[in-house]
Amino acid sequence: MSTQLDAIVDIQGLNKWFGALHVLNDVDLTVASGTRIVVCGPSGSGKSTLIRCINGLESYQKGTLRLAGTALGLNARETAAARRQTGMVFQSFNLFPHLTVLTNCTLALRRVAGCSRGEAEDIAMAHLEKVRIPEKARSYPGQLSGGQQQRVAIARALCLNPRIMLFDEPTSALDPEMIKEVLDVMVALARDGMTMICVTHEMGFAREVADQVVFMDGGCILDRAPVRDFFGPSGHPRSRLFLETILTH
Amino acid sequence: MGFDLAFAVSSVPTILGAVGTTLGVALVSCIGAAAIGFLFEMMRRVGGVVGLTTGFVIDFIRSTPVLAWLYFLYFALPFYGIRLGSMTVGVMGLSLYYSGYLAEVFKAGIDAIPKGQSEAARALSLNRRDAVIYVIAPQMLRNIVAPLGNYFVSILKATPYLAVLAVPEMLGRAFDIASETYRYTEPLVVAGLIFLVLALVISHGVKRLERRLLAVGAR
Repeated sequence: MSTQLDAIVDIQGLNKWFGALHVLNDVDLTVASGTRIVVCGPSGSGKSTLIRCINGLESYQKGTLRLAGTALGLNARETAAARRQTGMVFQSFNLFPHLTVLTNCTLALRRVAGCSRGEAEDIAMAHLEKVRIPEKARSYPGQLSGGQQQRVAIARALCLNPRIMLFDEPTSALDPEMIKEVLDVMVALARDGMTMICVTHEMGFAREVADQVVFMDGGCILDRAPVRDFFGPSGHPRSRLFLETILTH
Repeated sequence: MGFDLAFAVSSVPTILGAVGTTLGVALVSCIGAAAIGFLFEMMRRVGGVVGLTTGFVIDFIRSTPVLAWLYFLYFALPFYGIRLGSMTVGVMGLSLYYSGYLAEVFKAGIDAIPKGQSEAARALSLNRRDAVIYVIAPQMLRNIVAPLGNYFVSILKATPYLAVLAVPEMLGRAFDIASETYRYTEPLVVAGLIFLVLALVISHGVKRLERRLLAVGAR
């Protein structure tokens, strides 16, 4: 198993159990800087757990996970520093409901990056403009639609200037008419060269921006292929079966 | 023996004279109970030996009578060389006793916050302390204004226990009048009515506060 030098994420033989349930089974995954990986697979296949391991939200029992060159979990301070290289977007947005959109974005800038209020607000507004929602800066999350909330969540994650963005089913909780506005922001982000790992079933998005598609089932990575091959006739039989079920309904 | 309105009215100034003591003791005890209760709940959440021990302490406090605490602090501690004034003992006793209950209120308020909130805080690299101060505590407060207000009223109503330590609070004062005049009805009714008014004012304030907090960032 070769280890790429410019790999921002380097996972070797990762294993995780929830009690008796083997949720990650010898997972290997390297992600080079500047690449975009889409992870798909049936529910319960371990894909969310995998990306939650990458920023340390979940622990694991066996294997190694290096993030930006740091082995996670060995040293609390180094782990925290490595996590700072990641931005995470959740399925359920997880905006802070008691804070305005702007304060949601500035909180980490002020408390973690040590920015002044003015600096933090400038950075936050720049990112809110990038996700095309600057006019809602003074609103509270509860006053926004799901699509708007998720765009704010993306802006919030971008504020600390991460080297890699992790998306955990970012459009699964959205009404169909709001999926596009979120995917558009993600496509723009990909075009800007952001390294991304995205758990999603949006195969159109995968086709458009992904360099590679990873297919997981039962805690294993069954298939990892360049996007063209993944959707082509030579793809792994199990992922073909999966694609047929999600593309034909 | 009927109700002598004139005598009741004449007892009002004396009883009201102690309202400051009652409110002061209640206020400081509320702050103390909230501070200790929050600390207890944070320690319980650490888990492990610290968490288990704290959980036991909380249960122990809640399972013992408040009078036992007051008597212990006032009469037993001096044998160990710790001599405290009756007011101090009163505030300490009420604070400690109610901290056990408030820890449970804080627990419920924190448990009601979706798990995604603390995960988002961690994903944004906020440390534990900042996550509590900026993300968890404000949302917890919003969840618990009503029960917290109820306990503050309970603390107010528990201040007469301090009569056993000769703290000059309202009910004690009313009882002094009764003992001197052998008329119990009027001073006790007056003291009860003043407690009623204070409790209603606090409840009203809590309701208004709750409405305001819920209006901010309504989900």
